[in-house]
Amino acid sequence: MSRVVKKSPSVCTDLPLDNTDICNKLSLLKQLLISCFGPAGRLKQIHNNIGGRVISTSTSSVLLSALSSSQPFINLIRTSVLNHVSRFNDCGLFTAILCLTLLEQAKQSGLRRNVSIIVNKHLLGLCTSYLQGQNCGCKVKLDFCSSQYFITLAFSVISSKPACVLTEPEALHISKLAVQAFLLTVPCNNTGVARLGKTLTVCVEGHPVLDSAVFPGLLVDMPDIFFLNAENLHGRSLCTVLFSASLAGDLCELGDGNIELHGDADTDSQILDQLLELGKQVVQDGVNLFVCQKVIHPVLQQYLRGQSVTVIERLGISLMESLSQLAGAQPVATLHTRIPPKAYGKVKELTIKQFGSKTMLHIHPSGESAICTMILCHRNDTMLSELKVVCQKTEHVLRLTLREPCALMGGGCTETHLAAYIRNKKTHCLGIFCCSQTEYLLGAEGFCRSLESVAAALDHKCGNSLTDLTHAHYWTLPADVVEDHMENSLGVCGCGLVESCPSKKWTYLNTKYPEFSPAPVSKGTHLQVRVLDSFTSKLSGLQVAVETANLALDVQYIIQDTN
Amino acid sequence: VMLGSTIINHRQHVGLQKLSALAEITRSSLGPNKNYKFIQDDTTGESTLVCSCFRILESLELTCSVGQVVYETIETHHRVYNTGSGCLLFLAGAWSHAALECLHRGISVRHIISAMSEGMEICLNVCRQCSISIKRREVSELCPFNVSTVKDSHAHQQLTPRASERPFNLGPQKKLKLSRHFRESESPSISTIHASQLCSYEPFFPDIAHIAETLSHGCTDAMNLVVKASQMQSECNQQDIAFDVTKVVTCVLPGLVEEQATVLPGCVVLVPAEQASVAHHLKEQHLKVALIHGDLAATYRHLGYNRPKGIQSVSDRLDLSRLSKEDTWMEKVVTLLLNLEVNVILVSGVASEKVIECCWRRNILVVEKVKASILKAFAVSTGAIPVTYATQLSKHCVGTGLKVSIWRDLSNNDRKRGTAVNITTDGLNCGLVTVILTSSVHAKLQTLEDQFWACAYRLHWALKDKALLPGAGVTEMVCIQHLQNEAEHDIRNPTESNGVSSQQNKPRTPANPYRDVVLTLMADGLKDYICTVMVNTGVFSKVGARAAVIQHLQDYHGTVGDVAAKFSQLFLHTDTCYNATPTSVESSETPAIKTYDNLCVKQEVWRKALDLVFLVLQTDAEVITGVDRKTNGAQEDLMFL
Repeated sequence: MSRVVKKSPSVCTDLPLDNTDICNKLSLLKQLLISCFGPAGRLKQIHNNIGGRVISTSTSSVLLSALSSSQPFINLIRTSVLNHVSRFNDCGLFTAILCLTLLEQAKQSGLRRNVSIIVNKHLLGLCTSYLQGQNCGCKVKLDFCSSQYFITLAFSVISSKPACVLTEPEALHISKLAVQAFLLTVPCNNTGVARLGKTLTVCVEGHPVLDSAVFPGLLVDMPDIFFLNAENLHGRSLCTVLFSASLAGDLCELGDGNIELHGDADTDSQILDQLLELGKQVVQDGVNLFVCQKVIHPVLQQYLRGQSVTVIERLGISLMESLSQLAGAQPVATLHTRIPPKAYGKVKELTIKQFGSKTMLHIHPSGESAICTMILCHRNDTMLSELKVVCQKTEHVLRLTLREPCALMGGGCTETHLAAYIRNKKTHCLGIFCCSQTEYLLGAEGFCRSLESVAAALDHKCGNSLTDLTHAHYWTLPADVVEDHMENSLGVCGCGLVESCPSKKWTYLNTKYPEFSPAPVSKGTHLQVRVLDSFTSKLSGLQVAVETANLALDVQYIIQDTN
Repeated sequence: VMLGSTIINHRQHVGLQKLSALAEITRSSLGPNKNYKFIQDDTTGESTLVCSCFRILESLELTCSVGQVVYETIETHHRVYNTGSGCLLFLAGAWSHAALECLHRGISVRHIISAMSEGMEICLNVCRQCSISIKRREVSELCPFNVSTVKDSHAHQQLTPRASERPFNLGPQKKLKLSRHFRESESPSISTIHASQLCSYEPFFPDIAHIAETLSHGCTDAMNLVVKASQMQSECNQQDIAFDVTKVVTCVLPGLVEEQATVLPGCVVLVPAEQASVAHHLKEQHLKVALIHGDLAATYRHLGYNRPKGIQSVSDRLDLSRLSKEDTWMEKVVTLLLNLEVNVILVSGVASEKVIECCWRRNILVVEKVKASILKAFAVSTGAIPVTYATQLSKHCVGTGLKVSIWRDLSNNDRKRGTAVNITTDGLNCGLVTVILTSSVHAKLQTLEDQFWACAYRLHWALKDKALLPGAGVTEMVCIQHLQNEAEHDIRNPTESNGVSSQQNKPRTPANPYRDVVLTLMADGLKDYICTVMVNTGVFSKVGARAAVIQHLQDYHGTVGDVAAKFSQLFLHTDTCYNATPTSVESSETPAIKTYDNLCVKQEVWRKALDLVFLVLQTDAEVITGVDRKTNGAQEDLMFL
């Protein structure tokens, strides 16, 4: 007997941005993300309602993956930002906060939606062309002859995540390691197609951060260290073979279906014979290092070890690719054919390294390999997992500099600088739109305020956010400082490139100030830039934020199938 | 998936309150006199007797997120260091209390963190300055106890430890005499071994027993076992000093009185009566051994082997006389074992009943469930190569030189694990020692084992650090004084930028106006720690301890060296629990500090405690995934996204 269940009708929401519930949720999301923003941001403890693992984080990639909503409109924005994060690994919070603020400003301005969209689009074009242009005042050219800028860039990323709980020397140590790892993955030989290498991360819990280190080559966990014969390892080049097929000696490739076997037939020993045959060939071919992604039959292992071959099993797919690149070997996918000579590779030597309780086999590359391993140590697992995420992010950010060798001034300075630039520029391009001048100016003001409020989101102390009237950099004034002593208590701007001096004038953010063309910082300054942002990912973040906001503004109906 | 998030109120930080409440459970397990706690499960009626902070947390089911973060930290710490968990939790509580107080006074999170980090730097520097190196070569430098007398409160930026103008000379000769004196009071068997070695190695032999004693922290019996184990290892390795904690295993035997705890070379296994008869047969012989890494059974397949599915066996004739697969395998294995003349098989997994019985009949001893570390040690000392399948065994896989002896017959109380058999090698290169822990109270065994490992690791870390810290609260006392000096300096010179940061020329960081408050509160946390330890010794009342500490800090205001010296004296005169022989101070004019702590452990514990506080302090919201609005809708503090 079948029963027909009546389908419930779909739910249709008209003009989602006018819906109070959606607006409340948007503002909650914004509040949540703003509180995480920057080095002084607050952490969120993420866990499920049945007492699962607790993650303390303020990183957008972790946070946004956890923040799924019942409201598709929220998820639209969330997915869009997550997509940016998965491509660039950085500036996720910037993107999300800017997008949500743009929506809020568009709503507050009371402009028609299509006007907001047009104005936003136009201003985005202005920003991108300014940022990509030669005379951009908030850009720093990166010099590959010195590692200073790279360390600053890495340090900015690492120190922006307080859940790593690093002291300044620790953060600097990790930044240097990140740069070192990055440099190791850039191949030196310029013949043929250059291919970037890979950094593998190994986490060691319970040890001081300063024990973290980077090594060229691969470090492989060796739980069965007593099989290793240390004398075999040193100082000679090792012929290497890699297997991606399982050598466990089972009939794993059978698939479904039944097989009838004669009662006397012993499949196990037959496969084992075949494995040993393979072992003989490998030994004949002079292999010293035998690696398998999966399991190797113990008898084959014993045979190979007896022939003084070093055996590594269960390497895992993630290390397999790197090892094949390191050794220049082709992984063998079957045990049924002879191994072609070109499948063999070479490694320089093997050594044993001890990190806390972990014993690892260090596989040294025989030449330039662009593969390196980063050992990350931290005092507890919560902080270590955040540190791992942050280090991967840093690696990505550093790699993006190869595409575009520049960086943006961090600490909120780029945002205020851009806002000042647009305020100054907007008057020059009036009358090119299908909207009135007032509407355009209103839209532009909303855009600038959105940018400025992202900078202001960096401050969590309820201090006051300022911008100076020459370079339009970002400054914060502690809440308890009297205005008369402003120059003394301001110190330097967000990125550290501009120093306060008596001749300087400041204005509070989100107040009206006379338009001016923000000046680039003169080259002669003795100050070192302290905070840098990734150029590529910030530019993309800006585009994603504006385009997502425009898309959200364009949504007329949400139709939800509730079945 | 729904999401709920609670915003934690800023002034009354719930997370910090939870952390500080959680830390209260460790109050009674600090110091040398630990109180046992019963933890009872209301649903099952089961109860456990626990003594250490780690075991308490392990037995409690902490469901709140702060509780989980705490447990995770403690668990990691315990796994690596095996000691100091109680101190970690207590200080996390004390400093979260300090952070809460700061929030109450309206100090921003950023200021709290920067000042507390500075405070931590000060404390870690104190540790570095107070540390006493245990050099191996020069006996005369056995314990040079140098505390820099810091007159100018800013001078602690000179991080290098230097000889002070007023060193606490624990005169080296005196020290040695003292330690000999101690040795006489110990059981004669140890002292004779040790004394003879000391004579032959005198100039180069560091006094491991003495170091160990100062680290016993009230667990004298456990530490004596550690010293015995280390002596056994040094004899075995013929090294002047040896303690390889990875080559120590424990064997817990209920039903014997605690005095029967002892240390044996090699490993000890419990075997049933039938196997014991084999052991009897094999004793006092040079035996051959095979090591099996896996199970000893016909059906066993190595890890990662997938058994084929859907295979049907067909046969063209019925053969009833044919042996089963298992029997064929068994015959093969037994023949192989007999050919290779194997007497003992150590198996890391289990062995099938049939195999055990079959071997028993041929006088082959099968030992199951042998730890991988033991297998490894025997592989090294006998030359045996571990194999996965017994059929893999060949001549060069078999090790030689194994010895078996019956340690004790316990069969009257447990037939299944009746006899304790001691397996050793005659070679000197083994180094594996087994510590047998016994108690007639079953519930105490876990605690005894924990105490043993705590002592073992304290010695391990001391030898690794090659340094010790003055214990019994002295280091903490010096820290308190440094913190208070820094704070007072700020109050006196409020306009000047802060002590530590002034040198680093940082225009961005303006002086932290609340540094003095935060540092004082941090020092209060340490004071609370010392007082709790003092109260736990049973000599001081809560008020008395507090008064004594404060009085001391006032009396020796400004002179850091003295406060440490006299404080330790105070402790020593009143507190007998720390010392096995309380008469030791009387002869020396300069006070001997008789309790030491580990340098790296203390530093790690403090850092980790502060990390916990920072993690919780910086958290302002909890994000709970998978919350159903219908069931949890009533909870007012949840907001839904």
